[in-house]
Amino acid sequence: MAGLQLHGLTKRYGDFHATQNVELEVKEGEFLVLLGPSGCGKTTTLRMIAGFVDPTEGSIRIGGKDVTTLPPWKRNTGLVFQNYALFPHMTVAQNVAFGLEMRGIAKREIAPRVQDALELVQLGHLADRYPRQMSGGQQQRVALARALVFRPDVLLLDEPLSNLDAKLRHEVRIEIRALQQRLGITAVMVTHDQEEALTMADRLVVMSDGQVRQVGSQRDLYERPASRFVAGFVGRSSFLEGEIRDGRFTTPGGLTLPCDKPIRGPAVIALRPERMTVAAQPHPGSVPGEVEFVSYMGGLIDLHLRLSPTDLVVAQVSNREGSLIPELGDTVHVSWPDATAFPASDPHARGH
Amino acid sequence: MSSITLTERRKLRAQGLTASGLIGPATLIVALGVLGPLLLLARYSLNLYDPRELMISAFSAQNYIEFFSDTYYLSTFWTTIRISLFCTVICIVLGFPLAYVLARTQSRYKNLMIIGVVIPLFVGNAVRAAGWMTLLGSRGFLSVWLMRLGITDEPVEIMYSETAVILGIVAVNLPYMVLTLQSVIESIGRHIEEAAFSLGAAPMVMFRRVLWPLALPGTTAGVILTFILAMNAYATPVLLGGPEFRMMSPMIYNQFQLNNWPFSAAVAFVLMASTLVLTVLAGIMTRQKFRD
Repeated sequence: MAGLQLHGLTKRYGDFHATQNVELEVKEGEFLVLLGPSGCGKTTTLRMIAGFVDPTEGSIRIGGKDVTTLPPWKRNTGLVFQNYALFPHMTVAQNVAFGLEMRGIAKREIAPRVQDALELVQLGHLADRYPRQMSGGQQQRVALARALVFRPDVLLLDEPLSNLDAKLRHEVRIEIRALQQRLGITAVMVTHDQEEALTMADRLVVMSDGQVRQVGSQRDLYERPASRFVAGFVGRSSFLEGEIRDGRFTTPGGLTLPCDKPIRGPAVIALRPERMTVAAQPHPGSVPGEVEFVSYMGGLIDLHLRLSPTDLVVAQVSNREGSLIPELGDTVHVSWPDATAFPASDPHARGH
Repeated sequence: MSSITLTERRKLRAQGLTASGLIGPATLIVALGVLGPLLLLARYSLNLYDPRELMISAFSAQNYIEFFSDTYYLSTFWTTIRISLFCTVICIVLGFPLAYVLARTQSRYKNLMIIGVVIPLFVGNAVRAAGWMTLLGSRGFLSVWLMRLGITDEPVEIMYSETAVILGIVAVNLPYMVLTLQSVIESIGRHIEEAAFSLGAAPMVMFRRVLWPLALPGTTAGVILTFILAMNAYATPVLLGGPEFRMMSPMIYNQFQLNNWPFSAAVAFVLMASTLVLTVLAGIMTRQKFRD
């Protein structure tokens, strides 16, 4: 077990930057999740930590030791793959024993440790099965046991839940997180699924175009998105595009709102659907809007509200007794607490 | 009650007729063109040879007994098996790394590389053997250059030797082995290797513990293919081995030329049976090893 530091980690393929100057520190026992759309560089970053991709620049330190130039088999990282990658010609027990054998552990010590690792993932009774005789969820548990049994310095998880169906995904998700906390192991996971990221991580890293866009807790990312990109990627946001001038925000569609943000010129305002207040009557700070679409999801209802010919926002209301459930074509009045505004030109510009 | 209507039944029968119409010709060709001559040869091999009458109808194991009791024929038999095994081993050793590179390359020229492996198959064995002759003969390219570079003083004669034959057969068989192994290795995902690396296995250990055991069943197919080709090689041993060098296929042909049909039929059957037995043995051995 150890901490992990990535310093100025860059990978170039010709002119293409797979990652650019990635700077991260994972504390001992912390669960860090790299989140981003496909092609954002999260997998390249993980593969550089594992040793399968040589960084063009920068360094990787595990437990204070520089491993940048070490091959994968000398790094002591436990890697869990999306497609399990179990050895099909070995039994479950042999799969789990492999890492111990590679470390020259004595035979009589291997068997009990394999058994312990399998008990950890509740598969102690299936030690003699072959991977092909097991379900996807069981196989991924075996892969987890195989990656943990030799007590790696860092556990690396590459989209470990993507091949599982929805129900299993929830189960294995909780299991991985519980194990990681119980063993106090440092872990880095890559995912494109924000729900997965939000429920498992101690801290999250949002990446796009090979760069780290924001690092923080779930709350940090949700409440204080650093850029328009993060606001759109973590949780849901509706965006109003317009211009800020003389303390007013004006959209091309004619919507005008008071605005005290320190931004001048073209700007974007990000609104969280669940932070909106919808009422039948005008109230302080409210804007009228026409209901254009109603998405009834049981406990929650999404209202698509047209505020002007160019401005459409989504408001989410909870389906409680006495809540206002408007119909198509109704006019309602919507307001929101302090929203975040971003300069319009660059999706990665800092917000206010 | 399930009931098939009359029209459905007619349709089914029509489908059956179409299917037999499609399979028929191939079946017929195999039956008449392969099995027929084979049965005829089997019958011939039990006949007896007479210098004047050529073939005398009989039911005798005489030809087979003659083959297995004569050191001349036996040594040819063992030479053929030895050379075939040797060539097959060389093909695996040379073919595996090449097949691995072909299977794992991300290069956009991958298809060109595969074509490069296949192209030698476009050239007939006899033409290729002729090529080796110009390269390996005592006044051939290799010998001349070795002398010119001062590495040897006398002409080097590689032609008309076992070495030349092995070289020739390996060159013919290698593409088959490489293509078979390539598809075998491709079917073993790269992530399996990466898993082994991340668990602490260095490349050679990964190969021995993971890649090779997983590739073994598929490799058997390549081994069988190249072994059968080597056992039955004709042009290469004749052209590169010279008159003193003997393998089974040329010997069968020679016996036919001497008009000794019964004996050459018997030799043909010995070759076929031994190839079959060794092939089956190889299959059983690898399967057992894979289970362990």
